[in-house]
Amino acid sequence: MLYKILPRDSYQSFVENLIRNFDFIGPKRKDKATHEFTKITSFGELDLSYKKTTIPPAKQILFPSTEEIVEYRREDNSIEFRPVVEHSLKLLFGVHSCDINAINFLDKVFSTDFSDDNYLSKRRNMVIIGTDCEPRETCFCLAMGKEYVTAGFDLFLSELTNRYFVRVATSQGNKLIEKYASGISSAGEKDFKEYNEKIGDFRKKFKLSPDAKSFYDNFDLIYNDEEFWKKVAKNCFSCGSCCLVCPTCFCFNVRDEIELNLKEGKRIREWDSCMIPEYGLVAGGHNFRPTKENRLKQRYQCKLKTFVDKFNTYACVGCGRCIETCLANISIASDIDSVRKEVTV
Amino acid sequence: MSGKPKVGIFGFTGCGGCQLEILDAEDKLVDLASAVDIVHFTEAITEHSDDYEIALVEGSISTNHDVERIKKIGSIAKIIVAIGACACTGGLNCLKNLYGVEKAKELVYGDKKDWIDAIETRPIDEYVKVDYYARGCPPNRFEILQIVKALILGKKPEIPNYPVCVECKRLGNTCVYDLGMTCMGPIARAGCEARCPSNGSGCEACRGVIDEPNVNAQKDLLAERGLTVEDIMEQFNLYNACKKLV
Repeated sequence: MLYKILPRDSYQSFVENLIRNFDFIGPKRKDKATHEFTKITSFGELDLSYKKTTIPPAKQILFPSTEEIVEYRREDNSIEFRPVVEHSLKLLFGVHSCDINAINFLDKVFSTDFSDDNYLSKRRNMVIIGTDCEPRETCFCLAMGKEYVTAGFDLFLSELTNRYFVRVATSQGNKLIEKYASGISSAGEKDFKEYNEKIGDFRKKFKLSPDAKSFYDNFDLIYNDEEFWKKVAKNCFSCGSCCLVCPTCFCFNVRDEIELNLKEGKRIREWDSCMIPEYGLVAGGHNFRPTKENRLKQRYQCKLKTFVDKFNTYACVGCGRCIETCLANISIASDIDSVRKEVTV
Repeated sequence: MSGKPKVGIFGFTGCGGCQLEILDAEDKLVDLASAVDIVHFTEAITEHSDDYEIALVEGSISTNHDVERIKKIGSIAKIIVAIGACACTGGLNCLKNLYGVEKAKELVYGDKKDWIDAIETRPIDEYVKVDYYARGCPPNRFEILQIVKALILGKKPEIPNYPVCVECKRLGNTCVYDLGMTCMGPIARAGCEARCPSNGSGCEACRGVIDEPNVNAQKDLLAERGLTVEDIMEQFNLYNACKKLV
């Protein structure tokens, strides 16, 4: 890691240079309730004060909700396939630490056990510039150990008095500031001190602090407690929103679309969710997870246990999107604590 | 199914918009006509034949004459596809049942009410076995075509049994609840590409509800947002009064 200082006076021209030279995706106000990551064409459109995007920025691009993966054509006795892989260079600006940690998780998922070309080709062609944030009511990244990120980005900008503390994680990132920013210098003792104070203050601002380790340790004890899970899932709509807005959820379904001439078609993958009853449905009509309590338990297990065993990390970065989106007021943060309370009384 | 399947497209009680929706598939119509033989299409062709394998049926059953006709279609067709809200759930027409048939006849036709052969409105699956449902008001023309394609290929059509919320999230829509409105999306069946929420208004469940709707949670949600019991009943009943969800 290199640590540099970008003077505030140079910030706007640096961003404008990036906008001019890249397919620049950043946060922009969408409506009175939300922001969205979208193509930015001028500095004024960019709004780094954003608190919430419905869909996580990188997931939207690297693993889009609906993606064509194969085109095919049938002849009388043959069938021809053509893989469809998108990989244009994109620059993603203004991504928060939790969401970069989520990208690091997805990178593992899409490159371990099998190599997903559709994801990885886009990932290899993505420049990521992170920026600081202010915790919302529903944020608990600190409790998940995801409030700070040390890899997965090219540059990370933290605003200090009259300057930006820039962490440079890749040679690509270094080239970007050398080429597009003016007045760059190396960070000194005073800069580190202010930066560390800022990070320290940031860590004090969180309201939610669920004990995920206790969930991991006690999950087996509560696994078969049907009453507990029924209570937790009582209002669940099985609508899947929690998974669909989750920056680490990666499940997808694959379907074929064929033209009316019955010759040409495409294979499409689209976001799926373990909260939807059909997810557990198999041939013959058996459903492995027939009830909403089965499904919610599975989701929590996947987030807080399965991937601790597999990748030594939680599959939850504490971004709080699932809590905000849930119309049934189900909160993973409260439920983590409910498990602890249930086993300790 | 061997050879080109013969298809009949029929209309019952409703606005007739579902048949128009098929005609609106404009650039796909030639392909459709070459993939199947259309032997009856009330709104589009004058020819008629009683020899068909697939019946696409729009409209609800609301007269004794409708009952006779749908039973005849049921005795001929090997596969029946209900098209649109009226055929699938009874649709808006079911609101009539809430008044009682006699009262509704009187309200609309006054002293001529005895001229009218009306019965309680029902979706078509109360009289014949329906194999597939292309739901919605109006239905999605691409979904109708997709069902026809699946039937020609001998596949089971994929019809969503998940709520509209899924489509909103796939589209990146801001939740209409966050914009201060209410929506039946959490229990309403998807397949419309979240048409109403994508255009700034709440879903009214015109495609009916998913197989396992959490009706109590939906009532709680609407009550939490300030709706009265009457308002909540209205939301549930608009397209789904025949299903007696509340």
